[in-house]
Amino acid sequence: MVDKTIQQDKPILKVRNLRTSFKTGRGTVTAVDGVSFDLYPGETLGVVGESGCGKTVTNKSIIRLLPSHVTMYGDDSVVDYRGTNLLGLQEHQMRAIRGNEIGMIFQEPMTALNPVFTVGWQIEEALQYHTNLNAAQRRTRAVEMLRLVEMPNPEKRIYEYPHQLSGGMRQRVVIAIALCCEPDVLIADEPTTALDVTIQAQILRLMDGLKEKTGTAIILITHDLGVVAQACDRVIVMYAGQIVEMAPVRQLFHNPQHPYTKALLDSMPKPGRVGHQQRLPAIEGTVPSLFDLPDGCRFADRCKHRRDNCEASLPDLVSIGEGTAESKIRCFYPLGDVKESGAAS
Amino acid sequence: MNVIRRWMATREARKLWRNKSALLAIVVIGMYLLTALFVMAGGISRDTCDTVVGSNKLPGFFQQDTPEKRYENATTKFLTKIKRALAADDVGGALKEVNLGPYLAADQTPAQLQEIVDQVETLAAELNESPNLDNDPSMLPKLAELESVETQLKAPLSPWDQFIFNTSICLGTDSQGRSIFFRGIYSIKIAIQIGLVTALFSVALGAFLGAAAGYFGGWVDHVVVWIYTTFSSIPNLVLLVVLAYAFTNSAAKDTLLPVYIAFGATFWIGTCRVIRGETLKLKEMEYVHAAQTAGFGPLHILLRYIIPNTAHLMLINFSLLLIAAIKSEVILSYLGFGVKNQPSWGIMIRDAGNNGDVVGGFFWEIGFATVLMFGLVLAFNILSDALQDAFDPKHV
Repeated sequence: MVDKTIQQDKPILKVRNLRTSFKTGRGTVTAVDGVSFDLYPGETLGVVGESGCGKTVTNKSIIRLLPSHVTMYGDDSVVDYRGTNLLGLQEHQMRAIRGNEIGMIFQEPMTALNPVFTVGWQIEEALQYHTNLNAAQRRTRAVEMLRLVEMPNPEKRIYEYPHQLSGGMRQRVVIAIALCCEPDVLIADEPTTALDVTIQAQILRLMDGLKEKTGTAIILITHDLGVVAQACDRVIVMYAGQIVEMAPVRQLFHNPQHPYTKALLDSMPKPGRVGHQQRLPAIEGTVPSLFDLPDGCRFADRCKHRRDNCEASLPDLVSIGEGTAESKIRCFYPLGDVKESGAAS
Repeated sequence: MNVIRRWMATREARKLWRNKSALLAIVVIGMYLLTALFVMAGGISRDTCDTVVGSNKLPGFFQQDTPEKRYENATTKFLTKIKRALAADDVGGALKEVNLGPYLAADQTPAQLQEIVDQVETLAAELNESPNLDNDPSMLPKLAELESVETQLKAPLSPWDQFIFNTSICLGTDSQGRSIFFRGIYSIKIAIQIGLVTALFSVALGAFLGAAAGYFGGWVDHVVVWIYTTFSSIPNLVLLVVLAYAFTNSAAKDTLLPVYIAFGATFWIGTCRVIRGETLKLKEMEYVHAAQTAGFGPLHILLRYIIPNTAHLMLINFSLLLIAAIKSEVILSYLGFGVKNQPSWGIMIRDAGNNGDVVGGFFWEIGFATVLMFGLVLAFNILSDALQDAFDPKHV
């Protein structure tokens, strides 16, 4: 199903060579370094990686939410949304895009709603800002949106304040607000991290259903590979500000090419291991400081498959495979088809 | 109505309701507000406060007429009748028929009466040179002399008839003969007017500037912080005195405008600081980030997301500022820089002190002004304390 959309449609969002730097007291630091990817309508693109690898900065760069006085974008960086380079827009032009064309939902549903207004008011507010609906139409639409996110009793719920709702319900409201203007792209920054597992599953299923209904493309930022497996069509794995691997989800899980991806998958707890006294494998070492990046592969000093020339120069992001199995990888020595032996064990 | 009923069910409202002293304070404040409205609606005019009703300072309900009235009484009706009787053919018979209200002609010879009439007319002519007898206390001894001379013309039927009933002297009069009761009540309006205008203005300005400074940061923050640091580095009273002096030659010097400006310029600082700090906290909340991603403009976020969430601080600051403004107005008026040519508790207290009334045992002017101010300030203090308790989530 993923592959069909990729082949059928043109990408709605094209990110090319995105380079985001911050001016800090210790000098300039490049948090996102040459990220390029396409987002197609109706797909869910997962972005995974450990803390500080640039997932959130990438997405905040797309929606231009980083503090403007300390943020610099690369000269050749392009975020092409329907033919418009978002990086070149004025702030007021950008405001017309945010919420209306590109929505975003946050990690913490407990604080993501304004505590002094009812949830209905908050949905209507977004509609008032971005559409020409009148008050009665906005009210109807707010109820519709709450029904769409499977909120029980939406006619009554619109009069309730955020503190009267549970975490899962609040996240539903947040999603309703993000989707009420029918954005083409929805950026979800760890939308399920603060929820317990049952609610997580409900919310992910809900987002999947909404994607089918509205055709919204979703960028799902997470560090939970379980979420990725359940919700995503394609996955980007980031490390130290760069994409290290980009592949369809099935391929990524069954046949990881980059040693980092492999290490991430290995450090997931697996049911079969429970009985053994085996320790959960962790990746040795730490992420290199962005102030002091190595010249060569950024993962080299933690990599089990390191060879001599890995530390000499930075590998490029190259395509491997073809057609539906096409993926991109930034490694001199991809693991190849190791899954036959590796996945079975 | 629905909104009120829903608010009454909130935890804050219930906590406030349980606090009986707060309820009493609300009742007291309500009475003050009603009185202020009554005065504003014209219940007590400025003229009533400035009218000289006699310089008897003792509290009571009976008084003599005003000097003007007394002068008129002494020089017109009765004197005219006596003069006409003296000019008649049958002087004795005519004098017996003279009567006016409770008075008859005195039992004296026509020659004696004529002499008294001449004296009265001399004194009346002298008094007539005073352009405004009511506001010229120096003429009062002469008026009293005129009255005592004139009294010899008439024989009163009852000693009570020279007094008239008057509520305006129920708390006595001040050294200039003006009603203490009406001046004290009128001052409620002045105090509440100054308190409300100052507090509303300061809270609105402080909240907006504080929220803008905290939210935008950068040069907006620098400018706002610079302004309020500069203002707060000047001692408060000195600034108020300077502003009061600056207005001495302007057309607005007798209005409350200088007081509003002086208070407005300084009172917003505390609120601004508090709201700025709260905004620094609020702008990192996720719902503010969410509002940004929803594409709302900065003004919209400020008015809908930041400022409503500082409402509790604004409410508490409002009641504190109201008290501060009322107290400052009294102090300033006492020093002579505040309210001019209008009744004010500060002016009443100053008058009572300056004229030696207090030392002489006439305590009711300073007493009434102090009691009124005490009641209002205490009620607001109790209320703001109760509000703080009610809106403090950690306080059960």
